[in-house]
Formats: sequence, structure tokens, C-alpha cells
Amino acid sequence: MPFSNKLDEAMMRRPEQVMRLDRMGSSFQTRLSFMRALIRRMSKDQWTFERLRQDVDDNGFGVSVYAAHTPERTYSLIAFTQDIPADMRTDRVIAEVWDATFNLFDGVPTQEDIDYLAQNTPTQEGGRYRPSELSLARANKSLRLFEHVVSSLADGKQPDVELLASVGYLMRTTAVYGSGKFGCADRAKIAERDECKVSFHMELLGVYLIRWFTIDLAETLAKRRGGDKAVTIEPNICRFIGVGNSTGLGMAPFLLKHPVLIHNWVSAKETALARVRSIETPHNDTLCSFVKAVKQLPQHLSEWRVADEVQSDRIEKLEIEIAKLSGWCEDETNLAKPYPWNGIYQFVEDNFSLECQEMVVSLIIEPHGELVDDLADTMFATTVPLFEADMPLAKLKTIVKDYYAWATDIDFSLPESQHHFWYYSEDKLEPRFGSTGVDEGVDQEMPLAIGRDADDLNEQLKTATGDITVGEFARQFPQFRHIIRRIQNTALRPYAEVQDNLLGEAMRPLDLLRFKLAFFGASKFDPKSDLWTRISMYQGAPMPNQLTDANHDDWAFPVRPKQVA
Amino acid sequence: MSSQQLTISLNEVLFFFTRAGFGVNAPIGVSEDFARSNIWLGENGFDPSLCSILSLDYLDEKKSSLVIELDDDGFRCSTNQYLSALQASVSAVDWIKSNKGSRLTIANVDSPLLVVASLGANQVDDWQIRWTDEAGDNYQVKMVADSKWQVITNSDNIIERSKGANMVLCSTSDDDEIVEGEVRNFDSAVEKNKILQTGVSVNEHWDTIYAYFARCLVKSTAESRASGAGAGLVDTD
Repeated sequence: MPFSNKLDEAMMRRPEQVMRLDRMGSSFQTRLSFMRALIRRMSKDQWTFERLRQDVDDNGFGVSVYAAHTPERTYSLIAFTQDIPADMRTDRVIAEVWDATFNLFDGVPTQEDIDYLAQNTPTQEGGRYRPSELSLARANKSLRLFEHVVSSLADGKQPDVELLASVGYLMRTTAVYGSGKFGCADRAKIAERDECKVSFHMELLGVYLIRWFTIDLAETLAKRRGGDKAVTIEPNICRFIGVGNSTGLGMAPFLLKHPVLIHNWVSAKETALARVRSIETPHNDTLCSFVKAVKQLPQHLSEWRVADEVQSDRIEKLEIEIAKLSGWCEDETNLAKPYPWNGIYQFVEDNFSLECQEMVVSLIIEPHGELVDDLADTMFATTVPLFEADMPLAKLKTIVKDYYAWATDIDFSLPESQHHFWYYSEDKLEPRFGSTGVDEGVDQEMPLAIGRDADDLNEQLKTATGDITVGEFARQFPQFRHIIRRIQNTALRPYAEVQDNLLGEAMRPLDLLRFKLAFFGASKFDPKSDLWTRISMYQGAPMPNQLTDANHDDWAFPVRPKQVA
Repeated sequence: MSSQQLTISLNEVLFFFTRAGFGVNAPIGVSEDFARSNIWLGENGFDPSLCSILSLDYLDEKKSSLVIELDDDGFRCSTNQYLSALQASVSAVDWIKSNKGSRLTIANVDSPLLVVASLGANQVDDWQIRWTDEAGDNYQVKMVADSKWQVITNSDNIIERSKGANMVLCSTSDDDEIVEGEVRNFDSAVEKNKILQTGVSVNEHWDTIYAYFARCLVKSTAESRASGAGAGLVDTD
């Protein structure tokens, strides 16, 4: 029996509930997340993968090319690897050298292309790229794990799974640039291609190929070192190896600068949740899958270990709450009622932390691919925000009153309400989060103070009559043109705005980072401060030769495989 | 990023030109429209740095002003300066989009091509723009439809350098005055597809555009470097 995607509007969570920093900072990936959707596309469309070139020395330094063949075209990862001084290995944007640097190339590169990129890619932001390059990235090794894996394989042994689980990846990316950065292809060049339509799919294809490259490189070096004695990584262990990532403030401005896109992402996720909550009578197999997943979660959580005290406490609490949920599910009467998914959600929302609530959102969406996967194809935006000059000012006043009360209710006269500001540093344009009165740069503040700007506009609107147009008002007060355009374009998109003060003293950029990374499909959030986090990507995802496996889509909350000798 | 000849993406046009406008003290919302106009110019094969340099220089040197007023004769600068094309552009498009009339004049615009670009970027079809600049050259630009437009001029000077223009904006059906001269036809959609494959070429004025952009950057100090996001300065794990 096919699922019905009937949706009870009352089941949609309200923007003022969803778009709050504390909940956003508790997000988890779902089956709609970009990496999940991309893997399903690779499997469904039977993409094939091929190593086109591996010219590396016995230390692994050189150039390699890996291709993904879609039904329509080929994309290639070009990887440059080099020796770097240990004291220059940093994850910061301001780094100057990296163990590995990459481009995702549109097609198959010629030797001329590789020669050109060899002069540019290793310098990253110092180079210039062309529309043939879809993304630019770099990565550093996890030194202890990379060497352990190579030496183990060279000795004919599998790597220590416990050590592998404690790190999760052989290399971690420290930046992945796309969409026209440094001369790379504009998104418009590829936006009409089926495999590129959804946000960040090309950047994440690049990361998927980087993951394969790291594993392939380790196996190659092991073979060179160990000869016939060397072995390759056992498939289940291989699947558990992800790609790490260090993410800092660069992601936060993106989120704030693309409100329509963010609405579309969140709307898709919230619609998926509402569709599931609207199911009156579930299929038994979906409930069984859910209960099974809940029972497996403790192992996943026990393997999610971080040094950060706040996150560590959250995980500890989550473990207790998941155990309670597991017990609640064992009482059959709880799941036998009509609308059981809504019952589960309500029970969790009424009793458990935001971290647990958002994990359960992911868990209850997970068994409903047939019902929700179409929504993954809506997670992009093509609109250019327009300024509606002919809008009556009275209408703008109403919109601000109805949709921006979260902003106008904040008292921005308090110092703590304007504690922070965002700016670009001259150091490689690194975004930074300054403190008023401490850091220089208030005059060069990025226009990301959405709440404060809306509040300032509201004050000015109070003095204006409503019988003129917005265009006339903006001619008189051009300083409000930016926020007016934003408000006009977000009013009908309720999930577009973060409904919190982004300048407040208590504001943690980390919440924005986790929210966005969860949409990417990241896991194992490992905060290093309020400003940056490490994560794992593609941990548990099938390798290229596993994409046709029946379980290719089963990697929501992966657990470490058994140790193999 | 500076070079005598460089190819940049449309996204870089948006990023750098928005902040270049802000760098000469244009409001950020006006600067965003300015950048969109430059994207349109880039999509049509023009060098946006050449098209915009005069307007940015004049704002910076206070030869132009953003202060605008509307009277029965149309838009003009309320001070004794050129009217900045950054302000003239948004005001003209707002006026047209608000259906305020079928004919608009704008006096003494520093860089008239930017006004044309703003109509193009906002897909204002079936309007034409005529002007005579301070060199006495005449230009007529017709925004036809379906991304097609044409330039007619009797001048040997390139349109990018036209300055100090008294402009008339009216319907394409208004043929009171017709400029006679060389006709150049454009199809923005076709040109954009080409540019997406090649990038936008910017030439000698790019360094100045970048310098205006760089005013938005904050000087880095040892303290701000240390407090930036990311790992410690060395990672050896």
C-alpha cells in the first residue's frame, strides 16, 4: 500500500519554535540531508566511479584523479598531495599549506588542465580558477590514524577499529569552496543539471571523492610498503571511515545571507516531519524499524565522545533520554494508538531535551523514504530577491508587525543586545565575530544584524505615513533599502529568519554551524569552542563499490564495525 | 587579488562590487543593486570595472552625490554635483516599477550606462533610454523583450565612458527623438551562457575596484587572529 502524503497543517512546527538558536544548535542529519540524498541519487542512477590516475611517490606525494560518471556526464576530482612542515599544519582559514588540495573538475581534465591547476590549487586562495573547476578544497591528515592504517595494512592486519572510531577519518577538510569562489564556476553554469540542482551536491560529491581518495591512498602506500603481505581495508571497516571537517565562522554568514534558501531547506524538513506525524495508521515495518533504530542508538552515542563539556553533558543526557524512550516504546499501548508518530514526537517534546527532540525528528522521518524523499528535490532556491518599490508603506508596516515581532521585541538599547558584530578580516577574508568595544571593525560590520536592522526600520516606519510607496520611503531613507528588500522576500517564507538576536552576548555561532552542517548530513559534532567544530562526513556511507548494496541508504546513525584480525 | 587582466565569476562580481559600493559610503542596499547591475553588464560581455570605475571614483571624490530629489522635471541631484548613477539607478527602477508614469528624466548622471544596466538587471522591458552626455555624444538604448536590447550611437567613444548625461527614459513606442548611428544588438541570455563558460574579464580598473572593496576589511591583529574561529595555530593530531 503506498503512503499517502496527506498532511495535517496543525502538525507543522511553528517558525518561532524551529528557528531558534538553541534548537538549531541541536540539529541532526535526516534522510533529506544533502549527503544522504546524493548517495541515493548515485545508487538510483547507477553512477560509476573510476580512478583515472595515481602518480604518487612512496610517501604518497603527487597527483591523482578520480572520476564519477553519471548517466549524462563525468566529474573528476583532481588531488595534489605534498609534504608540509609539521609546524604549519593548521585547520584555520589563514593556513598557507595543506597535506592535500583538490578541485572538482567539470569533465575529465587534460594534462594541460592538470598542469595549470598544479600551479594554483596547492596555494588555494592564492590561486585563480576557471569555470571548468566546480569546487576547490583542501585537507590535512589525521597523522596518528593515517600512519596507523598504512602500517597496519602493510603488516597484513586490519586497523584498530577502536582507534579508527575515536577519530573517524583519515583526512579532514578545512574548506570546500564552490559557487564562483576564486573564479570557479558559477552555480548558474550547472544549476539546471539534475544532479546539481539541490544545494551543495557538487561540493559534497567532491567530498565523497576525497573520502575515496584518502582510503585509496592509504591502501596504495600500504601496498608499496608491505608488498605481497599488505592487505586492503575490510569492506565494513572501509564504510565506517568518513571524511573529517573543521568548520568555522565562514558558514554563518552564508546562512544569514540566503534566507529564501534556508526557508526551503527547513520547510522541506518540517513538511517531512508533519507528513509523518499525520499518519494515522502506520505500516508495522516502519514502527519496527524505528524501535530497532532506537535500540541501536546507545552504541552510536557511546561512540560519540567529545572533549567539549557542554556537548559532552548533552550527549550524556541524550543517552539517558534515549534509554527512557526505548522503555516507553516497549509498552505496546503507547505505539498502538492512532497517530503513533505524533504520539512519539509529543512524548519526546513534552519530556526530553532539544537534543533528544531533534534526534527523534530524524529517527521518525528515517523509515518513511517513500513518503518524504520527494522533498529533498525542493531544497534549493533560484530566486533573486527583488525590491518591491510599489508596495504601499502601510503593507510593509503590517509585515514588520506580523512577522518581525521577534526582532522588534528585543531591546537593542541594552549593551548586551549589541555585544557582537560580524566582520571580514583582511587575513584571507576570514569572517570573524568581534566584540563591541574590544575589537576594531564596528564601522565595517557585515550587514548581518537582521534583528537590529528590522527594529531600526520599525522605529522609522512609526514616523512615516502609510500612504506612500516603499520606493518613495527608500528614496528618503536609503539606509533601509537592504532590510526592506529582505523583509519583502521573507514575509511569505516563514522559516527564512533565525528568530534570535545574532548580536547578543549569549549568541553562539556554533549553533548556526551545526544547523547548517546537519542539513549537509554531518554527524559526530565535536565542538572545539563556540566558534568552530569538527565533524564527520559520510561515516557509514557506502563506498563506490557498495552503492548497489541493498543497505546503501542505511547510515543515519552508524556504529563501529567489529574488529577483524 | 589584483591583476592587470583577470577573469572573475559572476558571484565575485556580486561579492566585490557590493562591498566596493559600500566602500565609497553608498548604503548597503543601494550597493547590492549596483552589484546586480554590474552582473548584468558582465553577463553581456562588458568589463564591469570599466563601467563602474567613474561612478565609484566620483562618489569617493565627492564629485557625485547620492542625494536625489524628484520634481516635475524628473530626478536631479539636490546639490551642485553629478547625480551618482548608484542612486539614479535604484530611483529610476523604483519609479518605473511603481507605475508612476511613462516618461522620466534624470539630470546630470555621472555614469549613464549603470542606469541602463539597472533596467536590464530588473528586466524592465519595452523602455528606452536616450541621453546626450557632456561630450555631446548621443546614445539610445532600447530594452526590447526576452532579454534582447540594443545600443544606437553616433559616437566613436565607447558607451562605458559616457559621463555627465541628461537622460530620458520612456516607452520604446515613443519615437519623438531617434538617435541615428551604429546599432549593436545584444541578447542577454545568449551572452550569459557564454560568460558562464569563460568568466568575466576585468582589466586595468580592477585594482581600484578591489581597493574600494578592501575598505570593508578589518585590519588583522595578533589578538584578532588568535580569537578567530578554527583550531589552534598548529594541529598535529
